[in-house]
Amino acid sequence: MIKKVYLDYNATTPLGQSIVQAWADGLNFWGNPSSIHWASRPVRTLLRQTRQDLADLFGASSTEFIFTGGATEANNTVFNSLNELKRKNHPYFKNRNQILVSNTEHPSVIQSASHLQAMGWKVDWIKINQDGSIDLAEVQEQLSEQTALVSLHIANNETGVVYPIAELSKMVKGVGALFHTDAVQALGKMDIHLPTWGVDLATFSAHKFYSLKGLGVLYVKKQTPFEPLMLGGSQERKRRGGTENTFAVWSFSLMLKKLLDDQQNSNSPRPPFEHLKNLRDLLEQQIEKRISGVRWTGTAMPRLPNTSHMMISGIDGESLLMSLDLEGFAVSTGAACSSGNPEPSPVLINMGFSKQQAQQSLRVSLGYPTTKSDIYSFVDSLEKIVERLRKYQLNTIEREVNAI
Amino acid sequence: MPSKGRVLMAMSGGVDSSTAAALLKSQGYDVIGATMQVWDYSQCEIVEGEGTCCSSIDVEDARAVADLIDIPFYVLNCESQFREKVIDPFVQSYLQGHTPLPCVDCNTYLKFDHLIRKMAELDCQFLATGHYAQVVPTPSGALGIQTSSDRWKDQTYFLFTIDPAILPRLIFPIGHLQKDEVRNLARQFGLSVASKKDSTGICFVGQQGYQKFVEAEVPTNILNQKRGDIKLFPTGSKLGTHEGIHRFTYGQSRGLGLDHHEKLFVIKIDGEKNVVWVGEEKYLYRDSLMVKNFKQLLPMKSGDTLNVKIRYAHVGAEARIEQMGETWKVQFKEPQRAITPGQACVFYQDEVLMGGGWIV
Repeated sequence: MIKKVYLDYNATTPLGQSIVQAWADGLNFWGNPSSIHWASRPVRTLLRQTRQDLADLFGASSTEFIFTGGATEANNTVFNSLNELKRKNHPYFKNRNQILVSNTEHPSVIQSASHLQAMGWKVDWIKINQDGSIDLAEVQEQLSEQTALVSLHIANNETGVVYPIAELSKMVKGVGALFHTDAVQALGKMDIHLPTWGVDLATFSAHKFYSLKGLGVLYVKKQTPFEPLMLGGSQERKRRGGTENTFAVWSFSLMLKKLLDDQQNSNSPRPPFEHLKNLRDLLEQQIEKRISGVRWTGTAMPRLPNTSHMMISGIDGESLLMSLDLEGFAVSTGAACSSGNPEPSPVLINMGFSKQQAQQSLRVSLGYPTTKSDIYSFVDSLEKIVERLRKYQLNTIEREVNAI
Repeated sequence: MPSKGRVLMAMSGGVDSSTAAALLKSQGYDVIGATMQVWDYSQCEIVEGEGTCCSSIDVEDARAVADLIDIPFYVLNCESQFREKVIDPFVQSYLQGHTPLPCVDCNTYLKFDHLIRKMAELDCQFLATGHYAQVVPTPSGALGIQTSSDRWKDQTYFLFTIDPAILPRLIFPIGHLQKDEVRNLARQFGLSVASKKDSTGICFVGQQGYQKFVEAEVPTNILNQKRGDIKLFPTGSKLGTHEGIHRFTYGQSRGLGLDHHEKLFVIKIDGEKNVVWVGEEKYLYRDSLMVKNFKQLLPMKSGDTLNVKIRYAHVGAEARIEQMGETWKVQFKEPQRAITPGQACVFYQDEVLMGGGWIV
């Protein structure tokens, strides 16, 4: 049996050890938090405490967090809210009909924006350059008094590039627009301070942070006009109908506690982030040393400490991904795709890379359980596979040349 | 049990390749499943339970089988190769008045070329497909391809372009079985596809039929140029006009739109003048044909008498072959009905596939 090494933490994460060890405790939180009787009390306390932890961690207030069924739902909620407010003639949106979204967002943001475009909104795209940079002067030109919402993820899941959200926020506030960030990739990898970011809305996901799937968090800053997506009961202060996923909240709360402890008891840079960065640097040094023809993405920009993105010349990315899987390494060539069909990543295409470059791309994303030995065995296999694939690539080129 | 080697198994989601995968796994091979995505499914009409070999339902079926028998499974994006090597030539062939055979091109350029490369890249020793065919040693010692033990299902007709050099690496796991044995095995393996309907016809064309497919692929102005006259053989008198030569195939008698006192058949399609020639059935018979792009799996020479198939459903006929430069002449003992340009002419000695070529 081959050893299995997971290096795709930006797609999802395994459950944290504290959850695995104590999972039976979580089963006590089965009561309906909206009930009046005794069964609801411990669950309500759990939700309240978790919201407070989020507030303490992110420098916000506990009432500003809404639990959703996932980050996709949270992102959908942001765009749906906008449309509903406009439809209901909310004065804020009276003369605002433009949405500005980056073209490397998660599909749940891109699709939501396109949906609104089809409903009559004007959607403009923030261009992300090949090196991961954003031309802020260009964004300034795109902004106007008509801008209703700007949505820019804090960090890209494929390249790991962290965007200058605080700078952008000042520009967005300058025209009085709302500012949303999909911060799914940030949690557990960098400090998050929402007032510094200056956003009105932010999206988080539990399963990207060692917790159960089926739980997202939407931050809605006080005073931000808002309409719910899920209509139903009066849960989440009438901002999201539907009984909360209490078991997932329990798992999330354990992970948040650790993060909070860390934030309160250590200096920046935090040890877990340093752990990720050290391993990521080791990975990149080893690859650089042993494999030629590697082009790195985003390395001149601020990056998440756990993400490495590269393009490897002379290979077929499809075969690379499969070969690594067959050797037990879980990595990715782009966003996890539900069809399992390797189309070139739209993120890279939108950044201006060619289809061929996109197909030669590889994303390695590390997590807390990653070890040095994982990195070494990964680079061993990568070196071997790249050599093999390049040999066949060369054979094919020779054959094609001979056929002329 | 030590592994018998690593195999890349081409899986379509049908019962044959699914059973083949399960069989290989049970025999001790280290199996990796792969489905070639060759076509944008959204353009196919998918009828529940009647998937063709290109629908997304079929990919899901293949994946379900792979998950059940616990093997790695990947979808390979082959849309651009399929477009270039199969679809475009298919459409062009109809516009020239021929009747194409895309399954052979798919085998030539995708299954036994692209997948062979994938096999090597994935460090596999073998490539397996669910074809009804058998790899056997021949008297000379070289490996050859022999017809399947199920005469009705035999698919060797589609395999004549295989490079003999790859035969040691090819496995046809179900070639020695009858179709009902394959279905029984599928049931024994607990495969959900055990009673799935066989795919028929050309996988990417779907229920719309090839005529509509071609018309959707070709700009109207080019299609309009393929309109022309229907003429009677041998008098040459004009019986009517037609909407495009791609709508006809040799031997066709229905749907000619003619009011004539006797039953007429398409006996020749002139792709240059866009004339469809019709005539009595007797004019459909010819005793020879010419073959181009002649491929040999096993050595053949001028003067050999072989069994020859001129279409998939053809029972085969005895003929003598003779090389004439680049092309080969095939002289039948008995005249054959509706010899159709664009189809393959495939040669057998007893049950062994010798090679083949394209009917000019």
